Amino acid sequence: MDTRSTFHWIILILSSLVLLFILAPLIGMVLDTSPSEFFQTVKDEEVQDSVWLTLSVAFMATLIFSFMAIPFAWLMARYNFPGKSIVQGLVDLPVVLPHSAAGIALLGFISREGLIGKAADAIGLNLVGNPVGIAMAMAFVSLSFLINAARDGFAAVPERLEKAAMNLGASPVRMFFTVSLPLTWRNIASGFIMMFARGMSEFGAIVIIAYHPMTAPVLIYERFNQFGISYARPASLFFILVALVIFIIIRIFSNQASRSLKKVTLNNG
Amino acid sequence: MLELKNISKNYGNFALKDINLSISKGEYFILLGRSGAGKSLLLEIIAGLRSPDTGSIYLNGSDITKEKIQRRKTGMVFQDYAIFPHLTVFDNIAYPLRIKHMQRDRMYYAVNEMAENVNISHLLNRKTNELSGGEKQRVAVARTLVTSPEIILLDEPMASIDAPLRDDVRSLLRRINTMGMTMLHVTHDYSEAVRLADNVGLIHNGHILQTGDPDSVFSRPVNKFVARFAGIRNFYRVKIYREKGKPVAESANRKYILNEADYPEDGLLIIKSDSISVYLGEQKGMDNCIKGIITELNRAENGYELFVDSGDRYHVLVSKNGFEQLSLNTGKTVFLSFSTDSLRII
Repeated sequence: MDTRSTFHWIILILSSLVLLFILAPLIGMVLDTSPSEFFQTVKDEEVQDSVWLTLSVAFMATLIFSFMAIPFAWLMARYNFPGKSIVQGLVDLPVVLPHSAAGIALLGFISREGLIGKAADAIGLNLVGNPVGIAMAMAFVSLSFLINAARDGFAAVPERLEKAAMNLGASPVRMFFTVSLPLTWRNIASGFIMMFARGMSEFGAIVIIAYHPMTAPVLIYERFNQFGISYARPASLFFILVALVIFIIIRIFSNQASRSLKKVTLNNG
Repeated sequence: MLELKNISKNYGNFALKDINLSISKGEYFILLGRSGAGKSLLLEIIAGLRSPDTGSIYLNGSDITKEKIQRRKTGMVFQDYAIFPHLTVFDNIAYPLRIKHMQRDRMYYAVNEMAENVNISHLLNRKTNELSGGEKQRVAVARTLVTSPEIILLDEPMASIDAPLRDDVRSLLRRINTMGMTMLHVTHDYSEAVRLADNVGLIHNGHILQTGDPDSVFSRPVNKFVARFAGIRNFYRVKIYREKGKPVAESANRKYILNEADYPEDGLLIIKSDSISVYLGEQKGMDNCIKGIITELNRAENGYELFVDSGDRYHVLVSKNGFEQLSLNTGKTVFLSFSTDSLRII
């Protein structure tokens, strides 16, 4: 064995250990869950409701906030302004905050005494304990993933392509939708998936904003607390499998969309 | 046609200063300058991609200084083409027509006609990443021409094209110009200016130094920078006075006899490298004949370049035949001769 292959063996072993570290708990979970336990959990309406609530709220939060986050990402990629690094720091802040602390901060904001909470209360909506509050908690902790991915994508699009589009007669809006956005689509799709995934898996902030209605992570935590690991495990496995299927579907959809986006933007032109 | 009046723009540590330029309809104008001279910035200001700090831009008599980019009728071809990579060649050319909501049939006709004009009909369904530099340049030109601009702004159109393909692009640009299109082309390449331009302008550090037809600019450069662009390598700081009835320019090392004319008291003497003749023996009767030693010798495009030291240092171009006949080599003593007509004071 020469030096080069020794090095490669070491890399291979270290890589395998990392993968094993990720896979072993998941495989253990599958092996430790009997099919009957699993199917019983799948049929449990409380579990079904919590998984559905988690997925739907995470998806809606990602979708709605992306309408603000994507133009903001373009702004961050294209313009330099005083205090830009502070703004970028603010974008990254939710990622480094302890999520329970983020939940407390958000609670002060959306509770009836808070700024948004008061406005919502005026139209008869209590955001605490409400899917809207859950969506805000999910978005708060995950928005930076979408903004940063989209910003990197926009920054990688040569500015001269946007200038060329404008010189050819495109308005700034048309330039954005026919040049900047199609060329950044993959980054945006990745950021969208990351934000959705991060929002869906959030526990710390949500448990402070809304213990009920229960999202899947809160339900799993409650079952573990009340009944132990064997009761929490099938619900966890179900949630993980559903999330996996959803991610695969989104990934396939985003790949198809990036191929057909060109057609869509042109036909609309 | 296009007129720039007192255009100035501060851009970081760089500034365009008081640019005045006038280009007539159908003219091929080349703005020549080194990288960082402000050429591309000036084009972007004309196209409306940047605003000038002061000054005005007139196109066909109308002030377009504050006109929207989309309404300027200035078609820009970018240095590295700026072809949209997610669109086919057809869709790139059709891009501005779709913006105008042109009917599908008319659009197909217009794109195909333009593609035929620039010889890329066979590429229309191709993705742009499969194209060569020359083909991309043609797509960029076609995409701009299809907008029917009043003037085409070309930013270093040959810079990213392999040398063998440059002749094709050059003849395409010349053909577009002969069809009546006004062209403003910026480049750092002196040979492009000589081959294409009706008129040239020299830009340096944000200033336009000299404009005019290529012959007058390059034969009568106003300063050392312009002379260097014209390929002149021999410059000598001289004092000028009369001696024995003849005007004489004296450098730190020797005297040169000049043509009869009015001269300033001092200036810069320039001698074109290809107007110096090389001999093995002294040329009696010549006003300027200098003995020197070849210190360096290199292959050049059409022969050889020599550096000859005779107190002043001379850059001389000789043909391959002349080089072989004289058996020139480093260290050899030669005589350089040049007529008084070939000496110029700037």
